[in-house]
Amino acid sequence: MADSPEKRGWIGRLWNWIWTPAVAFSSGFLILAGFLAGILFWGGFHWTLELTNTEEFCTSCHTMETNLGEYRETIHYNNHSGVRAICSDCHVPHEWNHKIKAKIMAVKDVYHELAGTISTPEKYEEHRLSMATAVWKKMKASDSRECRNCHNFDYMDFTLQEARAASEHQRAIDENMTCIDCHQGIAHSLPPGYQERYQEVTETLASKKQDRLQQQAAADGDDIKSFLSTRAD
Amino acid sequence: MLEILGTIGANIISLPGILGLALGMMTRRIWLGALMGGIVGILTTVIFAHGSFAAAGTFELLVAIVIGLCAGSVGSVIRIKGATV
Repeated sequence: MADSPEKRGWIGRLWNWIWTPAVAFSSGFLILAGFLAGILFWGGFHWTLELTNTEEFCTSCHTMETNLGEYRETIHYNNHSGVRAICSDCHVPHEWNHKIKAKIMAVKDVYHELAGTISTPEKYEEHRLSMATAVWKKMKASDSRECRNCHNFDYMDFTLQEARAASEHQRAIDENMTCIDCHQGIAHSLPPGYQERYQEVTETLASKKQDRLQQQAAADGDDIKSFLSTRAD
Repeated sequence: MLEILGTIGANIISLPGILGLALGMMTRRIWLGALMGGIVGILTTVIFAHGSFAAAGTFELLVAIVIGLCAGSVGSVIRIKGATV
């Protein structure tokens, strides 16, 4: 018989083993074993994920040398207090869902490293604006979520800031601006034409938001009309 | 494309996938498992949008619900196939 255990391949036997009720182990044993295996798996998974957040990991690729050099010239690398923001602090969200999404999307970096998309200084400069645009878009859309992991308007003492910084930060609060609106190029050099491109990013995101609000308003209007017509009937 | 894959993957190993599967394994009714998974998908998206429906993206919400529905259904199928109680 084709169905007999002897005739099955190893996949078939494994499948059968998975769905056969356990007779050799008690329920308590299985729960405890599953619990311990879960802790081991989750601990290992999280530990590995955190390893991919280290500066050594991020800069281990040849193509990251340019970014690293630029970042080392900034206050986020070297400053009076010794508190540093490494690559993942700005580029990897803290919240689980967003973090996993960022990690999955970062697979493209491996592809481009292998494909040599930005392997020479010339190629890097060629792509600098598009790479910067992608990051600005993300930051603008998320209201500079990663900046706000460390910087918070609520705890900024404007009296300790320079007059210009204090007045600009106050303006940012008043006009509902976000960090990246002013702080592009805080860790990497800015490409030529960045202001025009950032303007485009802002306008695109604003028009999308506007469209969504208009659609919502139109839908609400339809609901009100249908409610009123029902009442009139 | 990468955005879509990232969102799907994130939801699979986040609450809609894991809790959806776990809740689905608590019932033999596939529709109930799927419903519980879908609700987890909605709640997760709203929680990650800091409790505001307006801040939750339509695409993110849709993906979370679909993943929740699938995970809940798979959980129920596992219960049917793998339990005698």
